[in-house]
Amino acid sequence: MTTRDIVLSALFTAIIIVLGFIPPVPVPLIPVPITAQSMGVMLAGCIIGAKRGAAAYALLVVLVAVGLPVLSGGRGGLNVLMGPTGGYIFGWIIGAFVTGMLAEKLVREGQSAAKQMTGFFIASIVGGIGVVYLCGMPWLSVVAGTPFDKVALGSLAFIPGDLVKAAIATLAARAVIVGYPLLPARA
Amino acid sequence: MLTSLHVEGTSLLHRLPVKPKLLGLMIFGLGLYFVSAPLVLGAALALTALLYVSTGIGLWDGLKRLRPVLLTIAFLAAVNLLLLSPVEALVTTLRLLAILFLAAAVTACTTIADFMGAITDLARPLERMGLLKAADLGLALGLVLRFVPEIAARYEALKEAHAARGVPVRLPRMLGPLIISTLKDADRIAEAIDARGIRGH
Repeated sequence: MTTRDIVLSALFTAIIIVLGFIPPVPVPLIPVPITAQSMGVMLAGCIIGAKRGAAAYALLVVLVAVGLPVLSGGRGGLNVLMGPTGGYIFGWIIGAFVTGMLAEKLVREGQSAAKQMTGFFIASIVGGIGVVYLCGMPWLSVVAGTPFDKVALGSLAFIPGDLVKAAIATLAARAVIVGYPLLPARA
Repeated sequence: MLTSLHVEGTSLLHRLPVKPKLLGLMIFGLGLYFVSAPLVLGAALALTALLYVSTGIGLWDGLKRLRPVLLTIAFLAAVNLLLLSPVEALVTTLRLLAILFLAAAVTACTTIADFMGAITDLARPLERMGLLKAADLGLALGLVLRFVPEIAARYEALKEAHAARGVPVRLPRMLGPLIISTLKDADRIAEAIDARGIRGH
């Protein structure tokens, strides 16, 4: 990684942490609030690409592990990583990578706005929702002992919020690729 | 803004070196999945809860810090109670709580510097494989901590700018400018780092 890659990843990690400070929207009945922070997975992949996006989230996980309250709601520490929702946190790294890979393949400069937006939206949904849930749900099921099908059913409550996040990430990624493109296939 | 979860103290867990602590947490966490006797798990929970309190964190502060995770565990316990037998629900809840308190105790008793030392050591094999430089990790983490307050201030400034123009403050509208203005600094920072030869060759 070049110095610029490291700086871009680190700056993005800082952006993700700041997104966590923005007051979350609580979901009725469920103790996990919808935060702007998990949208960072989609943003990181779509804006700085697969390798740097995954690096940004790996840095975040290191900061959580060393005991800094960098997750939304001031969460942090080893207990979060080892707890029932730890799988989602590790899944963010892989999710950002997959989002970035798809975005690098689907979107390039000079395409029509509609094509770029479609590409970002698909990348955000597959990487930011699909991959993250695939990592988080089995972990939750194993750690908490809750049957997998019930975990999957419960996760449906978060899908509408996640789709809104994918749409917001798409708009932001499109704004960045127009104003300051950073998504090269080489990264 | 980012206060560490470390708590000053001289308890047994404070004096233990970081690697045995992390290894112990790993072994304990995995080991508990092979135990399904509620009595043993209850005893384990009592032990880790005691250990957590012995760090000198204080009962109120200690519980407040774990509140989000405790709520998640309580929610899962309620779901499990509906889906599984009461004993099974009790076993998983006790197990999660025991791991939670031990992990929180290790976090409270270890300084960031010690953690960083351990992580740098863990990164050495990756360095030998040419995947990353351990020193780069420290540089990157330093950059993150340096820029969180700056980006937060930038977010506030954007909010004020929107309000001053009578535009409703909405996250989607601010994300683009926030990200572009932040990442535009990247080139300048990267040049400054290379100019000073901080990463060596």
